[in-house]
Amino acid sequence: MAERFDDDMLVCRCEEVTVGQVREAIRRGACDVTDVKLRTRAGMGLCQGRTCEALVQAILRQELGLPADKTGYSTPRTPQRPVSFGTLGGDIDE
Amino acid sequence: MSKAYDVIVIGAGAVGTSCAYHLVKKGMSVALIDMRDVARGSSSHCDAAALLSDKQPGVDVALGYDSIRRFLELQEELSNPFDLEQGGSLTVCETEAQVELGAEYVKAMQADGYDFQMLDKYEMKQKEPFLADDLPGGFWSSACCSLSPFKLCFAFVDEVKGKGLDVFIHTKVTNILLDDKGAVCGVDTDQGRFTAKNVVNCAGVWSGKVCDYLGLYFPVEPRNGIILVSSQTAPMCHQKVQEYGYLITKFQTGFKQDPLVEKYNVTMNIEPTEGNNVIIGGSRNFTGFTEVADINVIRAIARRAIRFFPILKDMNCVRAYQGMRPYMAEHLPVISAVDEVPGFFIAAGHEGDGIALDPVTGQLISELVAGEKPHKDISEYSYSRYKGKGPKA
Ligand SMILES: Cc1cc2nc3c(=O)[nH]c(=O)nc-3n(C[C@H](O)[C@H](O)[C@H](O)COP(=O)(O)OP(=O)(O)OC[C@H]3O[C@@H](n4cnc5c(N)ncnc54)[C@H](O)[C@@H]3O)c2cc1C
Repeated sequence: MAERFDDDMLVCRCEEVTVGQVREAIRRGACDVTDVKLRTRAGMGLCQGRTCEALVQAILRQELGLPADKTGYSTPRTPQRPVSFGTLGGDIDE
Repeated sequence: MSKAYDVIVIGAGAVGTSCAYHLVKKGMSVALIDMRDVARGSSSHCDAAALLSDKQPGVDVALGYDSIRRFLELQEELSNPFDLEQGGSLTVCETEAQVELGAEYVKAMQADGYDFQMLDKYEMKQKEPFLADDLPGGFWSSACCSLSPFKLCFAFVDEVKGKGLDVFIHTKVTNILLDDKGAVCGVDTDQGRFTAKNVVNCAGVWSGKVCDYLGLYFPVEPRNGIILVSSQTAPMCHQKVQEYGYLITKFQTGFKQDPLVEKYNVTMNIEPTEGNNVIIGGSRNFTGFTEVADINVIRAIARRAIRFFPILKDMNCVRAYQGMRPYMAEHLPVISAVDEVPGFFIAAGHEGDGIALDPVTGQLISELVAGEKPHKDISEYSYSRYKGKGPKA
């Protein structure tokens, strides 16, 4: 990837995390997507990383020279998209 | 062969990173080894609370209080923040009978010298306006804290890394090595051999497997819990809140409530996070070594939470995750040297208190490894309770 992102560009819109914050997390030792997430909250918001994961992976590749298969990805979790607590709690197998 | 360390710490969760930090502070060189990465085990799959209001009167609460005091110091001592907030916690009773039991508990805590207060219905609603109207009362404990457990792990590591601490991630300990006198002399890993005269087992739910390498009996089991994460919200809950039943399920089973909820051993606890959302628990189930969350438990947790905070009904859940508590039948961790194997120490089995007891565990282990007298009486946490017990003894 030739282009270098600006530090103040937003990476994660849900949690308002910038490129600079991701770089800072990497400087402090983050070395994959989950690490960046734990340190910055990027990917913890409403969309659960659907938008920012690829960007975070790109920054990890740039900063650490990682190959594409070593940047990791975040674990998919239930529910796969937002659902109200009312719906969740509504009917359960008794 | 790599360089010799004073101490090898196995496991970089809340417990292992605290031990490593406190050992370095005592002037020792430390290798911190984890088969995954820093804070990828139970310590990033949990709540964020250091509570007094889920402790038993006596040594349990005393150690919890000691830890909170140490957390407040650490907040100044560590360069990186771990989002510590001493916001107190509210315990909500669902019935008059629970209010009576709660009052006894509060009296015992007050007698031990802790700031606990009973709240009537109205005082409670003042603290949490969105609580259901029919709840009769509860109690408040001012010393309880919340914090980010994984940031705490990073803060410990970042503070001393390269200054006495070396961290080896993606490195699995596969054996513990003894010299001809039967004392610890190092460990084997899938990345090679490490040399040290002291080894601390901080492997959480996996610590039994580490003890197996030495033929030591250590009956730790995963007691799993699921947490639901809401989307961002305007403030609807202002502090850590748990139902009184949470205390009961922690120490016994068979708490009678909604039959569904009972079936999945669920009680409500909720806390706001610095991400402007709330995280909601929780369950306690023996479902083995797995981080996959059962949808029925997720649903029971949602139902129970709505019982106490009806406003949740129309709020969104974005994620659910499961973590494994390192459970021991005695409800006491082991923080101890192991007499049978000189140089071997265990700091594991904290169940639902690994975060709450994190600082004091690290401090105690550093004292034990340094050969000092521990600053607290920790005979209850001695490994000797398993002496002569278990299939391997
Ligand atoms: C739903 C839930 C809610 C909770 N809420 C709270 C709470 O509010 N307050 C509280 O105090 N506690 C809470 N807990 C409990 C808390 O999460 C644990 O007690 C704590 O995280 C245990 O920390 P640990 O360092 O012992 O274990 P872990 O964080 O699991 O660390 C152990 C580490 O050892 C490593 N390891 C294992 N075997 C090996 C090996 N052979 N070689 C190398 N590395 C190895 C693992 O990879 C892991 O990183 C909760 C738990 C759950 C599940």
